[in-house]
Amino acid sequence: MVTEIQEPEETRRHWLTWFLSTSVGLFLIAVLYPVSRYLMPPQIEESPARTARLAVTPVEVKPNSGQIFKFGSRPGLLIRTPSGELRAFSAICTHLACIVQYRPDLGHIWCACHNGHFDLNGKNITGPPPRPLERYIVKVQQERIVVSLDA
Amino acid sequence: MSLWGWCMMLAGLLAGVAWPVSAAVEQHDSCVTCHVATGDARLMRPVEAFRADIHAARGFSCVACHGGDPQEPGMEAMDPAKGYIGIPQRQDLPQVCGHCHSDAQFMKRYNPALRVDQVSEYYTSAHGRRLKAFNDPKVATCVSCHPAHTIRAASDPASSVHPMRVAEMCGRCHADAIYMQSYGIPTDQLQQYQESVHWHTLSVQGDLAAPTCNTCHGNHGVAPPGVSWVGNICGQCHAVQADFFNHSAHAAILVTLGVPGCTVCHTNHAIKATTDAMLGLGAGAVCTTCHSTADTGGKVAVEMRQRLDTLQQAYGQAHDILLRAEHAGMEVSQAQFELQEGQTALIKARAAIHTFMVATVQEAIEPGLSVSTNAYERGVKALDELRFRRTGLGVSVLIILAIIVGLRAKIRQLERRETHRLRPGDDIPKS
Repeated sequence: MVTEIQEPEETRRHWLTWFLSTSVGLFLIAVLYPVSRYLMPPQIEESPARTARLAVTPVEVKPNSGQIFKFGSRPGLLIRTPSGELRAFSAICTHLACIVQYRPDLGHIWCACHNGHFDLNGKNITGPPPRPLERYIVKVQQERIVVSLDA
Repeated sequence: MSLWGWCMMLAGLLAGVAWPVSAAVEQHDSCVTCHVATGDARLMRPVEAFRADIHAARGFSCVACHGGDPQEPGMEAMDPAKGYIGIPQRQDLPQVCGHCHSDAQFMKRYNPALRVDQVSEYYTSAHGRRLKAFNDPKVATCVSCHPAHTIRAASDPASSVHPMRVAEMCGRCHADAIYMQSYGIPTDQLQQYQESVHWHTLSVQGDLAAPTCNTCHGNHGVAPPGVSWVGNICGQCHAVQADFFNHSAHAAILVTLGVPGCTVCHTNHAIKATTDAMLGLGAGAVCTTCHSTADTGGKVAVEMRQRLDTLQQAYGQAHDILLRAEHAGMEVSQAQFELQEGQTALIKARAAIHTFMVATVQEAIEPGLSVSTNAYERGVKALDELRFRRTGLGVSVLIILAIIVGLRAKIRQLERRETHRLRPGDDIPKS
């Protein structure tokens, strides 16, 4: 009689043990996998920012002026052309990676390190820079300037 | 000759220009017809090659350079009385080409931006002067660089004067030791140039603005730069360095000594990418050519190098630590953004060494040192934060594991207790 009573109990207990063990095992995997991934991060750089919402409003950027802004970890250059158009470029000179600036007296972009000049399209027009500046897309959304990478 | 042919000849002579030939007329060009009909490869070659020539594309035919009357069906076409000159003499070539190319009014119809002073420039060149004075049969004339019958626009990559091919074209004579033997000038310029940073920039990076032979020597007025002009030539591209140098003590002294400025340190054809090792009095330093530890110049060189090294080291350390922090998942973009100023300062300081003044170099270095130090501290903080988070995570995981183990033990204990309680006849364990 005892044996007949204990059989279903044994089966249920084994099933419970199996269930708990599996759950704990899965829980451990779920905890330890991200932990191990966190402790051993991949040796690759984070992808650069694709979009930046600038602190300045469009009206604060006067015509024939420019200013540096943070685009991810790199500097960007926002300019408003004399005709009033907002444009943005990478502020890193294509020659030796100095930071370029907008020169209102010249009406275009200039690199102080080796006298490199870029026009208002970012094209290298004189001096040692070998390539144009990377150009970004500028949009105004809800009175804020949003700069993003060209698709 | 037909009356129409005479009219054409007369019109051409009156205009004082070689006349373009329309496609319809070209079909009746007896030069082409006869040269092809002979079946002689030597006579056919120029006709076939000329099809890809820019002059053919603009509607010119053989008579533009060789004269004669292409309307005549036979050998009368080559009558000297009809302007036929055959293969132009070497010494006459500049005039033959210049007949059109020196005529601004005429050239405007084909390429308004093209210069029309090539012939006058040519006679100022080492080539032109020797041709004029000695009728030297070896010096370059127009066709040496612009091969007859296969002339293309300089912008055409297949052209012999395309920037990518200029060095090779000049080297055909100037790298030939036997050909150049009688002139007593070096013939290793091409080899040296092809080891230079300029050639690398041009040929590997594909930057067509990088200098090749004619950038420094001129093209039609080609000549070695004078001692006092070298700085001006290099300064065409390296304007900041040239400006610093021209205001330095070295500028006047080197001219007095009769040595060209920039090339003393950078050489001429084999110009290598510059490194900081070129500065100072250590191995590979070019300053040692004239200076030693005993003179002020040597001390200044060492001092400038030390300052550059300080910034380079500070910038490098900051850059590396921020990169490590970034790879480890820490947010350091603001510090990286600000550190870009350090790179700018380093480049400016490297240009400023051409003033040969420690104070000017230091002035350029200061902002870079400041941002580099600041960025490094932020990198250290980021890594400290990372270490703290990792330790915290490890402790948390241990705690969680301990809880799991404890729970498991407790469950087992409860299970055992339950089993004992259910067995008939078993005593309930006393706690």
